[in-house]
Amino acid sequence: MFFGYTKSHVQAELFCIAFLLTFVFPLSAFAETAVEIINKVQSNLNGKTAVMNLSMVVKGKRATRTMKMKSYSCGDDKSFIQILYPGKDRGITFLKIDNSMWQYVPRIEKIIKIPASMMLQSWMGSDFTNDDLVKTNSLTDDYTKQLLAEIDQEYQVELLPTEEAAVVWGRIVMGVSKQFYLPTTVLYYDEDDTLIRKMIYTDVQPFGEKYYPTKWLMLPQEPEKIGKETMVEISNAVFDEDISESYFTKRALKRYSN
Amino acid sequence: MFFKLAFRNIIAARKRSSVTLFLTSITTALLVFSSAWMDGSHFTMIQNAVEIYPGYIQITEKDFRANPSYDHLIFDASFIETKLAGNDAIANYAARFESFVLFSADEKAVGGMLAGIEPVREKHLSRLFSSLQEGEYLDGDDTNQLYIGSELAKRLQLEVGDEVAFIGNGADYSFAADNLIVKGVFQTGLFDFDASSAFVYKGYFDKIMAAENRATHFIVLPKKPGQAEQLAAAIAADLGGQYQSASWNQTMAALVKAMKLDSFFGYITLGIIFIVIFFVIMIYTLLAVFSRIHEIGILRAIGTTPQQILTQLVLESSMLAFISVVIGGLLGGILAYYFSIYPIVFSGMEEQFKQYGLAASEMPTAFMPLTILRDMTVMFVLSVLSTLYPIFMVNRFKPIEAIHHV
Repeated sequence: MFFGYTKSHVQAELFCIAFLLTFVFPLSAFAETAVEIINKVQSNLNGKTAVMNLSMVVKGKRATRTMKMKSYSCGDDKSFIQILYPGKDRGITFLKIDNSMWQYVPRIEKIIKIPASMMLQSWMGSDFTNDDLVKTNSLTDDYTKQLLAEIDQEYQVELLPTEEAAVVWGRIVMGVSKQFYLPTTVLYYDEDDTLIRKMIYTDVQPFGEKYYPTKWLMLPQEPEKIGKETMVEISNAVFDEDISESYFTKRALKRYSN
Repeated sequence: MFFKLAFRNIIAARKRSSVTLFLTSITTALLVFSSAWMDGSHFTMIQNAVEIYPGYIQITEKDFRANPSYDHLIFDASFIETKLAGNDAIANYAARFESFVLFSADEKAVGGMLAGIEPVREKHLSRLFSSLQEGEYLDGDDTNQLYIGSELAKRLQLEVGDEVAFIGNGADYSFAADNLIVKGVFQTGLFDFDASSAFVYKGYFDKIMAAENRATHFIVLPKKPGQAEQLAAAIAADLGGQYQSASWNQTMAALVKAMKLDSFFGYITLGIIFIVIFFVIMIYTLLAVFSRIHEIGILRAIGTTPQQILTQLVLESSMLAFISVVIGGLLGGILAYYFSIYPIVFSGMEEQFKQYGLAASEMPTAFMPLTILRDMTVMFVLSVLSTLYPIFMVNRFKPIEAIHHV
């Protein structure tokens, strides 16, 4: 007996420590890895700043539409999008700051703040929603991460919303390339664990020192939306160069409209 | 002879007969009026809900109702138009195109429905025109003129003449936006509808939303609204499998179900009242028949058979029941008729009514002779049945026991 402990007390303590070492610590180490993976993915996707030229092809059941746009982003909380094509929509601009989004439409000469009730509406008729544009930092803040599996080329990370998170997804499963720490596939499930949509990232290309997936394919999985798809293709991207702060103000919406 | 005797007995025992007559008549009148009231309020609720906007029959693309997206529009509206124009059972019809847009006025932005309608035809199909509160209704040559729900106008702080912008997706999913001028404000009384709906002339809508010759649905008013179900089926057969033609019974299935459920509980309440009344009549008849045991004993002693006494007593109760249900039926019928013409007005209860989707405070009863006859038959059968047990009881006495019964 020492320090008032009996031998059986010491044995019990040792058992607890052994238990912690055997089962709990590896789990927490596993969880930390998943968090790290997602943080790396977020950092690789957003960078410090990014200027991209991209096209979006929306394939519906009846027709296919193509849009071209230029996007400016600073971290994952500020972004500015300019529609360049088609001519009818040219000059429409979007500004996202934190969780708020504004839109400027030259035809009506008006800046409109997108209300929370419209967040789940389609963005420019695509399979993306306004919420997708606004909640770009959501994966880091609103979800707990767990490593589901590790295969040759890929990690499978499961993201579950935290209790207080105001998010639309019940579960997200992300495949992450080990080589680039970029997403390969992302599966979005609703609260009933039904697969709602699938996003596939392909064609990773170097842009300066950075690698980036240049094709993003969004495939809705709801029965009534099967057959539709939205493909985003990045034709040019410049990362981590200074972008004028003037792009991330409400005034920019009108100023950079043309 | 039985008939004569039964009649004499009824007259002889005036007090007894009057009480039975009174009880049964009042009960019958109560049943007739309750049914008319219940049916009337349900008809009013459904008619209100149907006529304000949804209409008696809606024609859509076959999958639109299950999945109301732009993928399931009517892409050849003129085809439907031609078919409907040739149908003699149709009083009127019109195409509509509904879309979900974002309205923006000053700093305020609110999501809501913007629909393209045919203003002239729509006047006969819905209550949009009669719900005008301020300004003017739409015309067939309007451009960016908006007819907006009163609550939506309030949320956007708009008045007649003000400008409001909308952004949304056209029928081809392209981006659509324009500035609109408020021409009129309507108030149907249905809060949700008034808080989320606005209308423009479909000709203008089609241009701005790339929706020429397209529609989300057609609305049809039958010449005989009572035959909407049959007409919807006939239209469906005429249009073919590509389209769906649904009567209000289907388009407003939830409301119809709620009304049926309400009727069910209404009849349960009435049923409980009738069980009580049934036993009251039975006990009263039991007392009345037992007071006649001596008389029945003498009848048996002079050679009347139990069957003849049974016939005699059942005839008496049937005659009384018949007279009672006729009086009660007439009384209930007159009340039902009167209140169907001069509805009961619940002034000051509009707010509560709105919660049930009812944009009215008047509640007419439904005067339906067949339902009245049904209720009278039910009451007749019930009151005759309630006298059978006492009659059987008294008929079991032997003549000598009956004569000595005090």
